[in-house]
Amino acid sequence: MAAQPIAMPRLGMTMEEGTVVQWPIAVDAKVARGVIVLVIETEKAESEIEATVDGVLRHVYVEPGETVPCGALLAAVTDSADDPFDADAFAAAYVPPDGPAAEAGEPAPETSAASEAAPRARAGGGGRKPIAPAARALAKKLGIDPSGIDGTGPNGRVTKADVEAFAARRADLTEVEPGIGLEVLREGHEERAAKGEPVALLPGLGTDVSAFALLTPRLATHFEVIGVNSRGVGHSDAPEADCYTVERAADDVAAVLGGPAHLVGASLGAAVAIELALRHPDRVRSLVLLTPFVEARPRLAAFARAWQRARAEASPAAVAEILAPWLFGDALLGDAAARERVLRGLAQTVQRTSADTLARQAAGLQAWSGSRAGDLSDLSAPTLVLAGGDDLLVPDAASVAAAIPNAKCEVLPGCGHALAIDGADDVALRILAHLKDASHGARST
Amino acid sequence: MSRQLTLGAAINEAIHIAMQTDPTVVLMGEDVAGGGGREGEDIDEMGGVLGTTRGLVKAFPDRVLDTPISEMGMMGTGVGAAATGLRPIVELMFVDFLGTCLDPLLNQAAKLRYMLGGKARIPLTVRTVTGAGMQAAAQHSQSLYWITAGIPGLKTVIPSNPADAKGLLLAAIRDDNPVVFCEPKLVLGARGEVPEGDYEVPIGKASRLREGDDVTLVGFGGTVPICQKAAATLAGEDGIEADVIDLRSLQPLDEEAILASLERTGRLVVVDESTPRSSVASDVAALCVDRGFDFLEAPVKRVTAPHGPVPFSRPLEQAYIPSAERVVAAVREQG
Repeated sequence: MAAQPIAMPRLGMTMEEGTVVQWPIAVDAKVARGVIVLVIETEKAESEIEATVDGVLRHVYVEPGETVPCGALLAAVTDSADDPFDADAFAAAYVPPDGPAAEAGEPAPETSAASEAAPRARAGGGGRKPIAPAARALAKKLGIDPSGIDGTGPNGRVTKADVEAFAARRADLTEVEPGIGLEVLREGHEERAAKGEPVALLPGLGTDVSAFALLTPRLATHFEVIGVNSRGVGHSDAPEADCYTVERAADDVAAVLGGPAHLVGASLGAAVAIELALRHPDRVRSLVLLTPFVEARPRLAAFARAWQRARAEASPAAVAEILAPWLFGDALLGDAAARERVLRGLAQTVQRTSADTLARQAAGLQAWSGSRAGDLSDLSAPTLVLAGGDDLLVPDAASVAAAIPNAKCEVLPGCGHALAIDGADDVALRILAHLKDASHGARST
Repeated sequence: MSRQLTLGAAINEAIHIAMQTDPTVVLMGEDVAGGGGREGEDIDEMGGVLGTTRGLVKAFPDRVLDTPISEMGMMGTGVGAAATGLRPIVELMFVDFLGTCLDPLLNQAAKLRYMLGGKARIPLTVRTVTGAGMQAAAQHSQSLYWITAGIPGLKTVIPSNPADAKGLLLAAIRDDNPVVFCEPKLVLGARGEVPEGDYEVPIGKASRLREGDDVTLVGFGGTVPICQKAAATLAGEDGIEADVIDLRSLQPLDEEAILASLERTGRLVVVDESTPRSSVASDVAALCVDRGFDFLEAPVKRVTAPHGPVPFSRPLEQAYIPSAERVVAAVREQG
C-alpha cells in the first residue's frame, strides 16, 4: 500500500476549516481501521476521527492548535514504520479532495486502493450514520430518533440492542418537551401525601443532584425530595440546539414538578429557582437559595471556562483537584481526611456533565446574568438565602437576600461556595427549619 | 422401522414405488436400463451411469427405455408423452447437458398448459445430476438449477438427504406440471434414515433442520451439510446458535419460511453451490432486503462458488465449492 493521507474532514455542509486538537496516537505507532486517530474541533464542538486504514501514523503535518481548511493534508499513514517514505514529496504530491467527497477521515482518492476504504469511511465518518435496518425499524416504532444513539456494532453500526438499551434508559426519563427527557431522582416518594408539597433540588453549574447527596436523606425524612438534572447533565438528554438557557431550565423544572413545590437551588440552580419563581409564582411555595447571584460574575465565568477546559483535557480526579480550592472553605480543605473524601465524590460528580454541557450552561448563565436584578422585589415566596463566609466565587450572596422582600439571610462561617457539601449538616438543619416555617405559613393562610 | 439408505438408493426406491402405483409412469434416458447387455453381461450390469436406476428394467421391462445419446430427442419425447397421457421420468444424466435440450423444456413443457388454457397437463419429471465434487470437470459439474428455477411453468426441487429425496421425487412424479428434480453429487452417496412405504414431501416447503436465534443459514442440496457443519462450529466456538433452513424447493420458493427465520435471527447467510450471478443465493438475498428489510441487523451474506468454471484439479475443486469455513467466516463478518 502506498502511503495514505489523513485530511481535515468536512463534517458538515457549512464546515470550511477545522482545528487539530489532539493526535491520540504517537508518530510511528500503529493505527488500525476504526481506531480514533485524530481529534478535531470545529464550531466549538470536538469530533473524534477514526482511521480508515491499517498501518502506522508515519508523519504529522499539522500540530494540535493549528487550524487548516477542509481537505488539507494532516498526516500520512504507511504500512509499517520501515516503508520508504518521503514526507515532503508526499505533501507535494498530495491533491486535496474537492467537493462533498471530502467526508470524515476519508483518504483522498489518490489511488484505486483508496476506493476500497471509502465506503467504510462513509459508514463510520461524518456522512450517514450506519444503522441496522432492524434497529431503524425499532427506533421508528418506539418514536426514537436513532441519530442520537451510539452504535456498538461493526463500523459503529447502531444495532437493535443499542436501540433497546437507549429506550430502556429513556423510559426512566421525565419528558419536559417532545423528545427531551430529564433524569429525575425522587426520594421519600411513598409517603408523599403525608409530607405535603415536595422539595425540588436544583444543582449548580457542572454538577448533578449527587451534589446534594449529604442533604437528601435528611430532607427525605420530612418531605418528598425531587432532584432534577437539567439538560445534558447525568442521563438527561443533551440536545445540541442552543436551549440551555436559565429560562428554559426553569420551565423544564416546572414541567417536571407539575405543581407547587419548595425549591432548593445552589448557585446556577439558585438562578433557575429565582427565574422559576418569577415566571411561575404559583409553582413556588418557598425558596432556599444557596450562594445565589443575579449579576454577571467575571470570576465565576472564568472559573466555568477553566472547569470546561479541565473537563476536556484532564482526568476527573485532576478536575476535582482544580475545582476544590474554589468550591470549599479553608476549614474543609485543611482537614486531610475530609478533603480526600470530598475530592473522591467530586471526581464522580464532574463526570456526569460533559465539557459541552458546561459550555452551554455557562453561556446560558452569562446571558441571564443581570436580566433579573431589578425583579427580585417581585418575589413573594418565603425565602431563605444561605451564604458561605469563605465563598470566593460569590462573596456577596447577602445582597440578593437584601433585594428580596422578607428574605432571611444566614451566613455559614468558614464555608466555601459548595455549601451543600461544605456545610452540609448546618445547611440541612437550616433548610428544614425554613421549610417547616414555610409549610406552617402555607397552611395557616 | 429404521433403515439407512444412500440418497441414490432412496431415489431408486421412489421410482419403484411410483411405477408400481401408477402404470402410466415410464422412465427414459441414457443407460437408465443399466448400461449392460453386451455379450456375457447382464442388461442391468451398471444400474445406470451412477447406479441409481439399478433393478428397474427387470421390474418394469416395458416401461424403462434406454434412449440414444440425444438429449433433444428424449426431452421432446418426454414432453410429448406427458402431454398425451403418460407420466414420464426423463433422466438428463448431467444438468450440464441442459443446453442441448432446453427448447422442449423452456418453450414446450413450461408453456403448454398455459397456452392451451389449462387443457393440457404436462406431468413430466426431469431427473438430473448437479454440482461439483466428483472431479467431473467443467462440463459435468455445474449447478445450473438457477436456469430452470427462473423459467415460469417449471418447478425445481433439490433434496439434501435420502428421506427428502424419496418423498420429493414421488411428489414430483405425481405433480401434473413439469418438475426438474436435482440430484447433487455432494450428497448423492450420503446415507440417511428413509421411511418405508409411499410418502410425499410437498413441493414448495422448506424444512428447518436446526433451531437457533442468532443467525439463519439457508442451504439446499449439497450445501445443507455445509450449513450444518458451520452451525456446529459456530455453536461450539462462538456461542452463536444458527437456524438452518433447507429450501428443498427452489421454485416455488418457501419465502415465508425464510422470512420467518430472518425475523427471529436478524441475520442471514445463504449458501449456494452455483455461481453467484442471477443465482438462488442472490434471489434469497433480494427477498430479505425487499420483504425482510426491517428484520435485518447485519448485511445478508452469500456464500457461493466463484464466477468461473468448475476446476478439474481436486484441490481447486474443493476450494471452489462453498465450505463450512467460509460460512463461519461470513457469519463472523456480520458481527
